[in-house]
Amino acid sequence: MSPNGMPEKHLSPIRLTIFMVVVGAIFSIYIFRLFSLQILQVKDWVARAEENRVEVLNLPATRGIIVDRNGIVLARNIPSFNVVITAANLPDDVGEVQEIYRQLSEILGMPVNLNRITPDNPYVPCFSQHGIAQIAEYGLSSTPYQPVRIKCDIPEQVARVIQEKAVDWPGVSIEIEPIRDYPTGSLTASIIGFLGPIPANQEEEFRAKGFVPNRDKVGYAGLELQFQDLLAGRNGTWKVEVDVAGKVIRGLEPPVNPVPGANLRLTLDTRLQQAMTGILIGEIEFWNRYLNTIRSTSGVVIAMNPKTGEILGMVSYPTYENNRMARFIPAYYYNQLINDPANPLLNHAVGDVLPAGSVFKLSTAVGALNEGVVTPEQVLSTPPKITITERYYANDPGREREFVDWNKAGFGQLDFLGGIANSSNVYFYKLGGGYRDEVPVGLGICRLGTYARALGYGEYPGIELPEEEKGLLPDPKWKRITHGEGWSTGDTYIASVGQGYVLATPLQVLLSAATIANDGKLMKPTLIREITDAEGNVIQPFSPVMRWDITKDAVIQEFYDTTIRGCEPIEGQTKTVQPWVIDKVQEGMRRAVTNGTLTREFRNVTIPVAGKTGTAEYCDQYANAKNLCIPGNWPSHAWTVAYAPYGDPEIAVVAFVYNGGEGASVAGPIVRQVIEAYFELKRIDTALGLP
Amino acid sequence: MRGVNWRHFDFWLLGAVAILTIFGITMIRSAIAGNIELQELNLVRRQLIFAILGFVVVIITASIDYHTWSTLNQTMYVGMWVLLAILFVTGAVFFGSARWFDTGVILIQPSELAKIVMILVLADFFSRNQHRIHDLRVVIQSLILTIGIVIWILLQPNLSTSIVIFVIWFALLFVSGLKPKHLFAFLGLGILAPIVSFPFLVDYQRDRIINFLFPDPEARHGEIYNIQQALISIGSGGLLGKGYGHGSQVQLRFLKVRHSDFIFSAIAEEFGFIGTLLVLLLLLFVIYRCLLVAKHAQDAFGGLIAYGVATLIAFQAIVNIGVNLNLLPATGLTLPFVSYGGSSLLSILLGIGLVESVALRQKALEFSTA
Repeated sequence: MSPNGMPEKHLSPIRLTIFMVVVGAIFSIYIFRLFSLQILQVKDWVARAEENRVEVLNLPATRGIIVDRNGIVLARNIPSFNVVITAANLPDDVGEVQEIYRQLSEILGMPVNLNRITPDNPYVPCFSQHGIAQIAEYGLSSTPYQPVRIKCDIPEQVARVIQEKAVDWPGVSIEIEPIRDYPTGSLTASIIGFLGPIPANQEEEFRAKGFVPNRDKVGYAGLELQFQDLLAGRNGTWKVEVDVAGKVIRGLEPPVNPVPGANLRLTLDTRLQQAMTGILIGEIEFWNRYLNTIRSTSGVVIAMNPKTGEILGMVSYPTYENNRMARFIPAYYYNQLINDPANPLLNHAVGDVLPAGSVFKLSTAVGALNEGVVTPEQVLSTPPKITITERYYANDPGREREFVDWNKAGFGQLDFLGGIANSSNVYFYKLGGGYRDEVPVGLGICRLGTYARALGYGEYPGIELPEEEKGLLPDPKWKRITHGEGWSTGDTYIASVGQGYVLATPLQVLLSAATIANDGKLMKPTLIREITDAEGNVIQPFSPVMRWDITKDAVIQEFYDTTIRGCEPIEGQTKTVQPWVIDKVQEGMRRAVTNGTLTREFRNVTIPVAGKTGTAEYCDQYANAKNLCIPGNWPSHAWTVAYAPYGDPEIAVVAFVYNGGEGASVAGPIVRQVIEAYFELKRIDTALGLP
Repeated sequence: MRGVNWRHFDFWLLGAVAILTIFGITMIRSAIAGNIELQELNLVRRQLIFAILGFVVVIITASIDYHTWSTLNQTMYVGMWVLLAILFVTGAVFFGSARWFDTGVILIQPSELAKIVMILVLADFFSRNQHRIHDLRVVIQSLILTIGIVIWILLQPNLSTSIVIFVIWFALLFVSGLKPKHLFAFLGLGILAPIVSFPFLVDYQRDRIINFLFPDPEARHGEIYNIQQALISIGSGGLLGKGYGHGSQVQLRFLKVRHSDFIFSAIAEEFGFIGTLLVLLLLLFVIYRCLLVAKHAQDAFGGLIAYGVATLIAFQAIVNIGVNLNLLPATGLTLPFVSYGGSSLLSILLGIGLVESVALRQKALEFSTA
């Protein structure tokens, strides 16, 4: 009986069945779906589950350090202290957290609350201006188990205080981040270079090598760039299991440990580098003060061991402070550097191509003697100027053109040694281009080119600096292509004294003199003394590399006489330079010091020195802008290259001063002082019993 | 108790329910491992207490003649109405909706109880009016009765529970012999209603539906992320599962709400296809046993109660598993007996108690043949 007394009626059995069938059907669909997911597609889903839980951590490798030849540190890694908060580890109690923030704020001198983090004002570690609470909040919502940086690069003392307090402050800790440090800073910046973040367009390339963009830094200039692969080492990896918050639970495989980068020991002597910098800047400033105008703004000094090619010092002035780039590259500083007409970011010693001027006469001298254009004893007249007919092609009637000597009085009669010692332009014009019956056939542009190349011009010197240039040795074909006109006789005369189209880097000028000093052996210039691994084992010991000995290796190309179709080398016909030629040029350079252009500058020097000056006329955009390019009276760069001791050279020095004026009086003293400094240091080392 | 034969107590039903509940507690234990907050709340012990309490409720409810509820009908209805109204006005706000009563010790979710109350109220109503079921006015009356309670739940806002109650109403109407003409009309209305009501839904409800229909492949978080993680958990379980306590999706917390709404995915990962099949078959068995009780009930009232409870279990299970399998849009419905949730476990066991009460008082004819 139903309680309300209504006639009893039961539920419709058919509808109950329909219900059961519908439910059963839906469950069947589910079972089918489960079968499809768990049995048929299991592989895909397992892969996705693995992707969730497996993460490959990248373990950073320590970058190699750079030291000078005596072990003075030039580039190293120093710890930098950052305050970080791991949001997940902060106390649960809001009051406690606030108290931590408050005390932290006091110690760090940064506000607890400042600026909300929004897409327009995003959190950028170390840079963005946000309060402690905002950064911690951001950390909690994005990466609760990963530390977020509150403040970067705090003083070590403050870091220690926080570290001590952090015992009672769960979640707060000090992160130690390695930062590149250059103890010698701007002294060696143009050689060492600096680091920067991985550029966006090279991200893939670096990622493939195991680098982590935004964490790892890479070389941007100098040796840091050149030896990036070697210095950086190889980052390690570790396959770990992580949870949903990114917290590492356990390692899945033994970690692949990072391989620390190799260390570089340079050929540089920091003390000499220091002296050279002081001498160069002192000289430039002396002249600027003396003339009461900013005449010169840049210059170069390089010192090298001519027998081994070791660069003992290399100063490019002005330069920059690479420590300012250590953490990040400040935009204002970088812009200031790239907008400076003196181009401080460029290592001018290897990367600036300049008119070489009279120092290039060494090539003409070697060529002329070796080819028998003149004999050493032959005396040529050297009036203040000569007039030759400038021809652009064989039957060109031509136009008379005057070629003047730098000495307006002329030198009268000069033999070969006198020609070099006094750097007579007229003497070398005649050698290069020939002159009437006196020098019936000059050296000519083609042969001049091959001798200059043999001394190191026109090709990359092979020093380990990314910005090295190869200069320019012009020839008729080159002129035809670039200027659309033929090679004129006048071009040869001009090239013979290192003017006109001839361009060279200071390093090349040094190499030419060093090759002569080294009896014709051209050494590959190098900055690397040895390469050691992280444990100090030598991977690559020092061994000087000779590129060629011009007295033994047939590097002098012979040419057909005609230059109608440009220089035409005679296939297979090459020769060497006769050793006596080198001796004569050495003698000439020695004469320049004893009785020539450098005599005044070197009169009190006890060590026998041989050298060559250069006063290279130029007209570039800056000179032009100052209206200095007056025809016949162009501004000039000052050059001097010298080596010592004469007879058994151990140092070769080149000095270059941009817009320095006369070579001997401006660059000469620099070279002299550097040579003196070198021997003074040697004396000290010997006294101390050092090698 | 007069006329009660405990031999008719459906031990099969209770056994299946017990297995599901214990399995649920076991799974909750695995699901909260690694989550300190949930462990601190001691969910396993809470659920265990609720389960023990629930089985006591089953026995007590079974021993009470279900006809008693018929007499308390109006009291229960009014009481429920008042409770929900108070909750709406003063209820503690959790997860953006006022669904809970905070008693200080435990949170009580009255809307869970409302499902059972509505089964009793509607069973009573339809059993009284079964002969007039063809009269549309009776149907409308039952609808008004339902809306009276549902309105408060809808306002919480708790769309899923509201739908559950509507489904119970419709299922009871269907089995009471609603004319096929009306049946199809209501079915049509049921399909049309969501479309018409879509603009009136609260933001999160709309988002869920949009997310389901047009998933954004770029979304890493939120609803799609959860569903994706559920599918990864289910699929990676394979045939035999990764083993209890060894599911990486569960243990490393990639799977969200894995102790309640997505516990089915957690089971799928750790126990594989065998585990999910077992759960599905157990649920199907429970539903079947309830329907069997409904079929053999002494009267329409008892039959409707058992059938109502079967509907409740079936619908919740279908929706919950459907969401886990990404066949239905995300809702907050739990898996009966298995998911964490004291109120819902207690309510559903109360329902089982009612079914057992009906079973104990089967038709005389059935005993003789039994």
